[in-house]
Amino acid sequence: MVEAEPLRVVSAPSYIWRTVNKYAVEILPDACIDCGICAQVCPYDVYEMKPGLVHISAPKSSNCIGPHNCEGQSFFCVDNCPTDAIRVGENAYYEDLGDDRWPADLITSTWYMSETGQLPPPGIESRIGDSGGGFDRLHFVFPEDPEPVEEVDTSLDLNRRPWGPRIRTPIPIYGAAMSYGSVSLNVMLSRIRAAKAWGTFCSTGEGGYPEALIPYADHVITQVATGLFGVSEASIQRAPIVEIKYAQGAKPGLGGHLLADKNTPDVARIREAVEKTSLFSPFPFHSVYSVEDHKKHVDWLRSVNPDALISVKVSTPVDVDMVAVGSYYAGTNILNLDGGYGGTGAAPDIAKKNIAMPIEFAIPKVHRFLEGEGIRDEIVLMASGGLRTAYDVAKAIALGADGCVIGTAELVALNCTRCGNCERGRGCQHGIATTDPELVPLIPADFGAQRIYNMYHAWRLQWVDLLTRLGLESFRDLRGRYDLLRYEGAIL
Amino acid sequence: MRDAVRRVLAARKDLVAGLPSGLKKREAEGGCGVLGLASTKPIAGRHLFPPMHQMHNRGNGKGGGIAAVGMDPEQMGVSPEVLARDYLLLVAYLDPSCREEVEAEYIDGPFDVDHTEALPTREMEEVPGLEVQPPEVVRYFVRPRENRLRTFAKEADLEDLPPGDLEDEFVYRNSYRLNTAFYASLGEQRAFVLSHGKDLMVLKIVGYAEQVVHYYRLEDITAHVWIGHQRYPTRGKVWHPGGAHPFVGLHEALVHNGDFANYARVTKYLRQRNIVPLFLTDTEVSVLLFDLLRRTYRYPLEYVIEAMAPTTERDFTMLPERKQEAYRRIQATHIHGSPDGPWFFIVAGRQPGGEMELLGITDTSMLRPQVFALQSGDVSLGMVASEKQAIDAFLRSVHEEDPRIWKVADRYWNARGGSYSNGGSFIFSLREGSEGLELTCTDKFGSPVAVSDAPVTTRVAANGGTLPALEGEDPGAIAKQALGYLRKSGPAEAAGLVHGLRKRGQRSDRDWRLALRSLTLLLDRPYPMEGWRRSRARADISDAIEALLDVGPPGDGKAFVKVDWGGRKLLDPPTEPDSTLLVDLAGFPAENEDSGSRFLVQAHELGWRRMRVFRNRGQRFIGCGLGPDSLAEIHVYGSSGDYLASGLDGSEIHVHGSAQDQVAQVMKTGRLVVHGDVGQTFMYGAKGGEAYILGDAAGRPLINAVGRPRVVINGTALDYLAESFMAGDPLKGGGFVIINGLNVDQRGYLVDRETPYEGGNLFSLASGGALYVRDPEGAVEENQLNGGEFAELSAADWELILPYLQRNEELLGVPVDRLLSWNGRSLPPERVYRKVAAVPLRALIPAHD
Repeated sequence: MVEAEPLRVVSAPSYIWRTVNKYAVEILPDACIDCGICAQVCPYDVYEMKPGLVHISAPKSSNCIGPHNCEGQSFFCVDNCPTDAIRVGENAYYEDLGDDRWPADLITSTWYMSETGQLPPPGIESRIGDSGGGFDRLHFVFPEDPEPVEEVDTSLDLNRRPWGPRIRTPIPIYGAAMSYGSVSLNVMLSRIRAAKAWGTFCSTGEGGYPEALIPYADHVITQVATGLFGVSEASIQRAPIVEIKYAQGAKPGLGGHLLADKNTPDVARIREAVEKTSLFSPFPFHSVYSVEDHKKHVDWLRSVNPDALISVKVSTPVDVDMVAVGSYYAGTNILNLDGGYGGTGAAPDIAKKNIAMPIEFAIPKVHRFLEGEGIRDEIVLMASGGLRTAYDVAKAIALGADGCVIGTAELVALNCTRCGNCERGRGCQHGIATTDPELVPLIPADFGAQRIYNMYHAWRLQWVDLLTRLGLESFRDLRGRYDLLRYEGAIL
Repeated sequence: MRDAVRRVLAARKDLVAGLPSGLKKREAEGGCGVLGLASTKPIAGRHLFPPMHQMHNRGNGKGGGIAAVGMDPEQMGVSPEVLARDYLLLVAYLDPSCREEVEAEYIDGPFDVDHTEALPTREMEEVPGLEVQPPEVVRYFVRPRENRLRTFAKEADLEDLPPGDLEDEFVYRNSYRLNTAFYASLGEQRAFVLSHGKDLMVLKIVGYAEQVVHYYRLEDITAHVWIGHQRYPTRGKVWHPGGAHPFVGLHEALVHNGDFANYARVTKYLRQRNIVPLFLTDTEVSVLLFDLLRRTYRYPLEYVIEAMAPTTERDFTMLPERKQEAYRRIQATHIHGSPDGPWFFIVAGRQPGGEMELLGITDTSMLRPQVFALQSGDVSLGMVASEKQAIDAFLRSVHEEDPRIWKVADRYWNARGGSYSNGGSFIFSLREGSEGLELTCTDKFGSPVAVSDAPVTTRVAANGGTLPALEGEDPGAIAKQALGYLRKSGPAEAAGLVHGLRKRGQRSDRDWRLALRSLTLLLDRPYPMEGWRRSRARADISDAIEALLDVGPPGDGKAFVKVDWGGRKLLDPPTEPDSTLLVDLAGFPAENEDSGSRFLVQAHELGWRRMRVFRNRGQRFIGCGLGPDSLAEIHVYGSSGDYLASGLDGSEIHVHGSAQDQVAQVMKTGRLVVHGDVGQTFMYGAKGGEAYILGDAAGRPLINAVGRPRVVINGTALDYLAESFMAGDPLKGGGFVIINGLNVDQRGYLVDRETPYEGGNLFSLASGGALYVRDPEGAVEENQLNGGEFAELSAADWELILPYLQRNEELLGVPVDRLLSWNGRSLPPERVYRKVAAVPLRALIPAHD
């Protein structure tokens, strides 16, 4: 078990902007008679008549659960208002936020969880998006009479081989690879501090290992990717887990790229490249064109650091099951299947979602194949690529994964709006996917760490609730339980 | 004739009718360890053991196979006439109960059978590690029955086909039917044909290749050509060797290392010609393709190779016009049949004329490892393998049996895939000549690979021990005298000198050290040698060095400590800071926690700084794991393995010979000196450090290198040198590569190449760093650069690189004066070196600029 640095849930409201409300509540000033009935009936504290004041306060739209949830109820403010002075409806701006994969509800609920560490209020969908496919059409089937569960275990074992160090994380996730350059150092620090607080890990991505991460080395996964940027014996020997990135689900068949503007002097220094030039990492590894080369590659990393767990990140081609078996025989501890739903705005749109197999097909394909080969229990299968919510994680596990790797959700916790302008110019205006010195301070590392910590706290509450309702004691019991999932038919 | 080809293929329609498309591969597999040998003298199967064993880490024991060509008639139980005339049909019975059925329908019916014999085997338990029962194999020497042949010719409208071709097709079809009925149909896998060519034998098992030799008792079975294959299938449970290599066409067997991206496309191309794979692997498809092009279309080998590995891009434009014309047509017709992706084939066979062949072909981008080698003497040997160390292991093994063969090949080289220079392929042919079998080696275009004809001897002149060159106290001076002596003396005297140095090493610590240093210099240095074969001399010198290291100095053992596998756990810290550790690597595994590489790390942690490692048998990762700011100085003798010095950060490594693939990847600081060639992806992703290479770098060196690597390559690089190079501004501390374009020829002379760089891609997409190319005649052209530009060599540039060239002279013996001379004239540096610098590429610059 990795030792966690205890952190507790502390409210971490965004100081950049107030959250975007889903509903807009308006009191028509000319009609309102300040009777205060609305404040008495509304159970969600939208209205308040402050003691000593004669006027009703401005309504808190953020607390409203929406008219369709209240209609017909005795506490529906609109019905109770004697002068018909209340207008409740959708916030016209709300739908501008997000996209089908990350609709406004998912973004705002993630913000809510990141701020409070608690479950979002009813009326906001925090489990699925609107993509019309993938995890958004998979639902859990809860037994009517689940086995009683005394204590729920959400932990994950990262080494199932009979040899090597035992590593267990208390939550079934670790942080996905995002390089220095693609995101700021503050963002990296936010993520790694949250990982440490949770006793889990976070990957450096392929932009090297900034010195500021060294104090957190026990929680840093160092990546060896095709560009080999920042890879050195020192960084490999420091890492408890070394991740070989062969492909990225968001852009299989393409290497990494960092456009010139984001390659600031400091980014270039860490990568030892030329500043203000675009940096490409090739596809694939020039030294690995076969599974036997792969074995040699793994052997090399082990010869540099015999104690490291080796994780292999691959996308989901049709023969991903063969890739998995090959990796097993090469001595890999963790196989990370990276599906196509993920990726920041820097991954080309034409690639995202359009190449390779959907992750919800790849996971059970690999899981079953490894079971058939009799080696499933020696390798850890991690799923990644657009897993956005606690429910996505649980579904991936029910499909056969052991755990998940989370990227974008952690950025949303930091106030990402999914605008998709990660790549060009100065990068993200919210200070996340940028290296611009004026934008970076928008996300102080303390704040960022707290937000991500809070989000996982809320996720854990959801996981405990979910497993309890399923009558399961741990995620280990959920793995491969396709029977607990239902696919909602396709829309015609 | 064209019409006959059409009819042959049309007649196969009934063979494939109703078969599934075969478009989906049954199993994926990765790279593999491959080996091919051709020899004028019959070679016994046991010599496959050491090289195949040393390539275990390229397979996973789930598929091993061998092929043999040029068998001994007596051992096969037939007369020489029968061996030459009959088809040798080998059938693997996975289910022995079907033998009668198979024989009735596919052996006795169609053929006159001259000899039938079940292959003798060992008990499974006698073959350590063998887990799956190998099939029962029966060999039949057969001739097609006259009446069946006539009927077939008539029905297929092939009566005008030459008799030999007709028989070939008859045999091909019979085996195809057998395989369809007993292997591919109904999902039942009961029997299949291993091989059916004349004087060609294929055997394969679920296991390692050397276990084939062991199980089928081939230790003493001899052949002139062998190929071996370690397979790495990715499906875990394999119960029979149907998918293992080699696969056969008719006259040839093929093994393969790699994985196609376009299996389905190639299969469709074959299906259009009524050929459908039954075993559903890349390898089978490859050999079906080879057989189609060679036997059915009757293409000359050059065109077969062109159809499989087309010449493209700049290389195409460099071909003579007539060749371009022919190749254009081949490509237009067969491009869809050309395997795409990483692959390397070794093919062995016996052509209808009786000639035996061994060839290797690489894909156009050289994505799989490959080394060719040639030794020419009383016995001549052609060799090709995944790794040089496998070739060396083979030579060592046959040398012990036959002293006419020595332990070092005359030449080792790589093919440049799809190139105008050698076509990415070399062919060893064994033909009957006036003095028995003669071995020739040519490239795709038929140009011979020349080797020295300098004399070879094993005799040692008696006066060797008293030569004046052996006295003196400075190893440099001794070596210099010795070089002068070697240059003019005959082989016996030269061998005597080597012997004498070795003897001197027994006198005292000091003499031992002198002897070791001078012998090492003799091994490393390029120097002309007229009287003695260079490779033979290197073999003797290596032996002498190994003997010195093995015995150690005669003194008290403080300055030198020798350790081997048995004593590895007893190592103490050095008693003196400059004590030297002598490590006999032979017993150490090639990788894993007990490897030689990890042992060196432990020794370094104990405080050992100077190490000389010897008897390297392909051990990998030497110099890896020493950690940041390491301080070791490691000298490597023998056949070092892959990934040497990868990640090196501070230490210094000298390789006394050639290094293999993935050398010095992500190297950060320190120094690497290689007294030979380096393999693929040399210094990929390197960050810095100095490297000096006497010979060539194979494909893709210095890709993605950043920071400040400083590299001198005295030979050339095959292709893709310094792609995406990002090493800053060399004049402000960034990195660079110097390419000297020299070659050490067969007699040891340094000669200038026609061009320092032949590849079509040089400095592609580079954003920093520079190349300095020794190219006084401007042989490297603009169109080889993909993004870089030629620049004048400034005084600052020369000032920057001169110290590295001086160091190069000191370390490798390539004089700066020699570098500055061209056609015997001394030229100023700016007339000799051209600089290639990065230009701002639109693709790489900021959007708002």
